Parts: sequence; structure tokens; C-alpha cells
Amino acid sequence: MDKQLQEKFVALLEENQNIVHKICRLYTNNQDQHNDLFQEITIQLWRAFPKFRGDSKFSTWMYRVGLNTAITLYRKSKRTVKTQDFDSVMFRISSEEYDDTIEQQLKLMYSAVKELNDIEKALVFLYLEDKNYREISETMGITEVNARVKMNRVKGKLKKILNP
Amino acid sequence: MVDELELLKKDWQKQEASLPKFTKKDIYPMLLKKSSSIVKWIFIISMAEFAFWIFMAFGLKFDSESISNVESALGNTEIISTVIHFSALVFFMAWFYKNYKKIESTDSPRILMRNILNTRKTVKYYIWFNLIFLMVGATLAYAMVVNNSPDTIAVDNPMLAALAFIAIMALFIGGLLIFYRLIYGILLRRLNGNYEELKKLEV
Repeated sequence: MDKQLQEKFVALLEENQNIVHKICRLYTNNQDQHNDLFQEITIQLWRAFPKFRGDSKFSTWMYRVGLNTAITLYRKSKRTVKTQDFDSVMFRISSEEYDDTIEQQLKLMYSAVKELNDIEKALVFLYLEDKNYREISETMGITEVNARVKMNRVKGKLKKILNP
Repeated sequence: MVDELELLKKDWQKQEASLPKFTKKDIYPMLLKKSSSIVKWIFIISMAEFAFWIFMAFGLKFDSESISNVESALGNTEIISTVIHFSALVFFMAWFYKNYKKIESTDSPRILMRNILNTRKTVKYYIWFNLIFLMVGATLAYAMVVNNSPDTIAVDNPMLAALAFIAIMALFIGGLLIFYRLIYGILLRRLNGNYEELKKLEV
């Protein structure tokens, strides 16, 4: 494929790669799987790129292809090198900012999110990315009302996991 | 709970610093790598299935001398069956290709899943066609051979021979069904689950 297109794509992906990394964090459990999924999402994005017309933002388009890959297309690679699993909450946080209770609470929340099914994870992901219900419904191809209803159910489910 | 989710949201948005960073140099080689997506696997397995049935339908005929007796007993039926088989193969492959081409990662998740499952379904129908064709064909052939050329199969006990024939067919079909269930069961379990989950959200 033409070189200019490739350069444009790689520049856009480099700039927006955080979206892909965040999807990988949510759907995989270790660094190998993370890289593997990142690779597959990159391939799918690149394949679809010639049809990207720029009528939506590149990032919006990435959410859909990225989630589609994580939920539907990706098959976990067989090479399960044992690396240390992500602590779901190793996501930083300086301890001055949060006290222990909050830290503890966050830890629980992250592991609760990890226990959700693929579709629920996608909804929570978009919610955490601060997408409104219209954007969530467009990305997932469901109605806005159903996105809302489902999100409320997921909140209920999380609550149950947190307070059994 | 809502407050907790808000807390999580704030925390989530602060994780950027801890995310891995790939450079352009890391990304370029990724574009050249081959996908290992479920679509690719469905494509490979489907091609293997088409190849298997083509072999079963056409390849075996050129191979066996002992079959010539049976063939003479069958006469024109053989040609008719080949024509039907070949037309079906062309039809199913065209249908498969059409559905395969529809699979786009930019569609909504539900449409994407539906298109993948539809692609798989065309192969499933092809298998069903083959099984039914095989059953009907084998039964007819058996009856014709027994009637037209009784020397080919020397049977003392026609009842027992018929039972043995049914048992062999049942074993073959049963074996195939278990094989498919295993392959596609493993391959599609997650996809089917997610599809059902999404379907509930789209009334």
C-alpha cells in the first residue's frame, strides 16, 4: 500500500495509541497478551484504514475497531508465557492523593470490572472514557435507551460483586 | 455506587502516564505481521472443509478399481450426482465468499458478529447438504446395486447387510458431527456468547 498512507496511519496511531493500550489493559491479563492484542488491533485498524474517510474523528473510529477486535476478532494466543499479571490497579496513583480506603476501594473496583463479561466491559470502558450515552450507543450499535438500561444493570452487578 | 464509579472514572483517566508507549519504529513492523483473528481461522477451516468434500465427492472416484462394478450398476445416476454436487459446490462457495467479503471491523459489534456467524453458517449448510446428499445417495446406490448387480455384494442375510450399512453411515455421520462440534464449539463459543448478549440489547 502506498507509503504516504502508511506514514499517515502510523503517525495517527502513535498519537492515539493510549486508546488501544487501555482496551488491551481491560481485556488481557499480562504483558504478552497485551502486546498480542495491541498487534492484532493495529492490523485491523491498518486494514480498515483505506476506508477511513475522516468524517468521524480518528479516535472515535479507533474505539469501534479496537473494541470489535477485543470482543470479536481476537483469539488469545497460545503462547502463555508466565509473566507477572497486571495488578489491575498498578495504575499508579500517588499515595498523597488518595488515602488507603480509596486505594482499597479502587482496587476492588478494578478487579470487579475485570470480572464483567466482554460486552459489559466495553460499556464500562466507554463510560470510563467519559463518552456520553449517544456515543456509547453509536460505538456499540445499540439504542441509547438500551445502553442506559444495560449500564444501570452493570452498575448493579458491580455493586453486587463489591458487596456480596 | 455511582460515586464509586465516578471515582474510578477519575482514576482511569489518570493512568495515561503508566501506559506503554510505542514509537513509530515499533509500529511499522506490526503492519507487516499477519492477523490471527477468528475470521482468518474460519476462512482456513472452511477452505479445508470445502477441500475435504471436494476430495470425497470427486477425488475418490478416480482411485478405486473395485468401484467400477458399482458404477456400471449405477449408470447415469453417477453423472447426475456429479452435476448436482458440482453445482452445489459452486453455489456454496460463491455464497461463502459473498458473506466473507461483508465482514468489516468498522461495522457495529453486533453486525460484525452476525456477518461472521453467517459466513460460518454457509459452510454449515454445505456440510448439511453433503451429509443429506451422502445419506440419500448411498441409500439409493445401495438399493440399485443390490437390485441391478446382485453379484457385486454377496449377501446371505439382506437384513443384516442393511443394518451394517446403516451402522456404518451412522458412525460416519456421528463422527463428523462430533468433529465439527469440537472445532466450532471451541472456536465460536465466545463469539456466540457475546452475540447473544448484544442481541438482548437490541430490541
